[in-house]
Amino acid sequence: MSIEMSKRSLFAATALLAVTLAAPSAFAQSRAETLRYVTGATVNTLDPNIPGSTREAFALSMSSYDRLVSFGRKLLNGKWVFDLDTITGELAESYSVSADGLKITFKLRPDAKFQDGSPVTAEDVKWSLDRCVTAPILGKAQLLTGSLTSADQFKVIDPLTIEVTLPKPDKLALPNLATVYPIIINSKLAKAHATAEDPWALNWTKENAAGSGAYIVETFKPGEQVIAKRNEAWNRGTPDKPAAFKRLIIQSVPEPATRANLVERGDADLVIDLQASDVQSLEGKGKLKVISTPQYNAVTFISMNNTIPPFDNVNVRRAIAFALPYDDMFKAALFGRGAPLYGATWADGKPPSGGYPIPQPIKLDLEKAKAYLKEAGMPDGFSTTFSFNVGQAATAEPMAALVKEQLGKIGIKVDIQKLPDAQMSTAINEKKLPFFIEGIVAWLPSTDYFYRNFYTGKQRWNYSSTDNAELEKIAQEARFEADKAKYEEQGKALNAIHFDQMFQIPIWQAAQDAVMQPTVDGYVYQFTRQVDYRNLSRK
Amino acid sequence: MGTIGATLLRAGRRFVSSLPALFGVLVFTFLLMRVLPGDPAVFFASGPNAGKEEIEVIRRQLGLDKPLPNQLAIYLYDVGRGNLGRSMMTGQAVAKDLKERLPASLELTLTALLIALVTAVPLGVLAALRPGSLVDHGVRLFCSLGVCVPTFVSGLLLIYVFYYLLGFAPDPTGRIDIFATLPPSRTGFLIIDFLLAGDLDGWWAAARQLMLPALTMALFVIAPLARITRASMLVSLGSDFVRTARSVGLSWWRIVVTYALRNAILPVITIAGIVFSTMLGANVLVEKVFSWPGVASYALDALLVSDYAPVQGFVLLMATIFVIVNLLVDVLYGIADPRATVA
Repeated sequence: MSIEMSKRSLFAATALLAVTLAAPSAFAQSRAETLRYVTGATVNTLDPNIPGSTREAFALSMSSYDRLVSFGRKLLNGKWVFDLDTITGELAESYSVSADGLKITFKLRPDAKFQDGSPVTAEDVKWSLDRCVTAPILGKAQLLTGSLTSADQFKVIDPLTIEVTLPKPDKLALPNLATVYPIIINSKLAKAHATAEDPWALNWTKENAAGSGAYIVETFKPGEQVIAKRNEAWNRGTPDKPAAFKRLIIQSVPEPATRANLVERGDADLVIDLQASDVQSLEGKGKLKVISTPQYNAVTFISMNNTIPPFDNVNVRRAIAFALPYDDMFKAALFGRGAPLYGATWADGKPPSGGYPIPQPIKLDLEKAKAYLKEAGMPDGFSTTFSFNVGQAATAEPMAALVKEQLGKIGIKVDIQKLPDAQMSTAINEKKLPFFIEGIVAWLPSTDYFYRNFYTGKQRWNYSSTDNAELEKIAQEARFEADKAKYEEQGKALNAIHFDQMFQIPIWQAAQDAVMQPTVDGYVYQFTRQVDYRNLSRK
Repeated sequence: MGTIGATLLRAGRRFVSSLPALFGVLVFTFLLMRVLPGDPAVFFASGPNAGKEEIEVIRRQLGLDKPLPNQLAIYLYDVGRGNLGRSMMTGQAVAKDLKERLPASLELTLTALLIALVTAVPLGVLAALRPGSLVDHGVRLFCSLGVCVPTFVSGLLLIYVFYYLLGFAPDPTGRIDIFATLPPSRTGFLIIDFLLAGDLDGWWAAARQLMLPALTMALFVIAPLARITRASMLVSLGSDFVRTARSVGLSWWRIVVTYALRNAILPVITIAGIVFSTMLGANVLVEKVFSWPGVASYALDALLVSDYAPVQGFVLLMATIFVIVNLLVDVLYGIADPRATVA
């Protein structure tokens, strides 16, 4: 009896031991197959088209939805970045552009299925694209830039073929279909949730994903976390395989120091929004992988409103351009992490390229600045305010202090104004700020796109309130220019006008510092300035 | 029985008389948000291509194109039906957001208050028993330190030591380890939900997660509680009834706890009530540092982006809680000092 008992208890103990030993290893395995990404921002909607969507929402939608096509990748200075010029099929198996450039025909993958198992058809594609150009959503303004404006342009040829017609050959039409907004939605599912006031089911897609993407959203808690599992049936990645990580955790951690601790301790796998100082020290310790990519589709400006005196005087703008302490700002704000856009030398004063942005031939030269001020008729300087938003205080605050100090030397008195984010955007939209720090980003960074969107019209993104007929004319012509050499000449002409008029001062392209565990592989800098989770795997 | 009835009656009367104040808060916040510069429509129309048209669409969606009195009328009507509006920031109904986040804040604040009371009252009593002694100075030093160091500094410091250096504490990211499974939500308080589900491991995980933020908050409020306990105990210990109690030879414990402390506790309860309400709304730094999904960080984020509905909802919630806490304090008065019921 007693032997029997002890045998049994021995057996039980062994079983218990086995369980306790097995549990952590099973956990470790699932941990290795999970990507835990921490961010200071938050995913606020599952449909990236909803007005107010955050960048994190855009990033998630890249994985939860498919589009017809997607961008390839290329090496830029040894780092992988998205490539505008390589467009590969995503839901489209292949596509062809007609000789006159007016028709794009997409053949859909016959094996593509939505996450609920129903096949992806040309009808779904048509409904989704119609929605993108018709509903009051973000996609409308984006697709407009690619001459996609009306539902009549999308035609179903057969269940697996769809044809897009363009009013004129527009080289941005195809790239636009690879951006965040033209997601392909399971139209039957969405229509079932549409109402009379909400025919495009926006209220439903806000909180429910109905796509065919690589990850299936399991938990969505705005402001806290999103957990998604791999869609095993998905094969739209470049190697025709499902995504590498089985599970994806996107977690909001507002405090940057905590994010740095998490990734350093190995509890988080990847973070892209640390403070520059933390990145510097983590890189110094050498335990983590740090990939710094200058955000080559974004620019930080010190901007001046060209309609508010004294900045309506071109010589005042030139004086400012030669009075800023560029190097000190670059070190203090970014710890030198990024690509500077100052300090270039242009041979015979002409722009060396038609790209945008290119480094400007400006540097700190107080004598020159004083001369320009004199020419402007303000040798003793003037007073102005210099604004930035609270959300960017970490980089903008040291910059503002340096600007104030340096401009004081040529008699310009600067009052620093720190505005909450919503106030700042309102003031910029109403064109009330004379002098401020702001940034821009373009998903489809081509020269004409930058000039058309950021230097024309009475709209928010024209920070400098530029109104220059010549610039507008060249930029509009360049939009539909098919000849590469001519386009380059037009770009050079635009850059020359920009430098001559000094509408605003492009100062740098800040780096995106992706800090990750050494085991994480495949990171690509994307046009969304976010992580595309489908790129990543663990070594 | 009679006293309980009287207390309830008094509480009910107090509550009804606070309704006009709540209404005032509602209207005032509504107007204040609209007076502040910062246009939510412009902020949220921030896609790379959002122009005038997008801004107008959002403005219409938010109802901001209507005249102010109309907006107010619609808002009051909605609040009356329990609809606090929708947050642009999270894309969710404000009432739902608050309902999910309030238990997180309450759990944290109550734990912190409990830790603070359990520490502060004995410290205050000890200090009062030997005023001017080494113990008294020690308590004073501890309190000053606690109140001097801002919560985000002590929070980051605690994280650095206990999570980063020693590895005792779990990662400071919210209420529960991200890999853990949540218990079925019954009360919204994880500590209670885990117990109800009988999941002791889960309970321990949630408790560990709660420890550092609660300590951080407690450190900050120990000072006022301990100081008020000390001051009030000093008065109490020097009064006639304690001298009498001493002279009839009652035990030390009875004199200090039953007679002196019970008489000294009234101001401590008052302060604890105020401290609790303040902590609930003002612990935004702690919530941020520990990624705690509470109501205060929610309201701050909303305020920064001029998201009206969540801020208004938050202020209304806080005002309501303040009223309830004051009622509770009133009731506790009655228990601590029976004379209060008559007054």
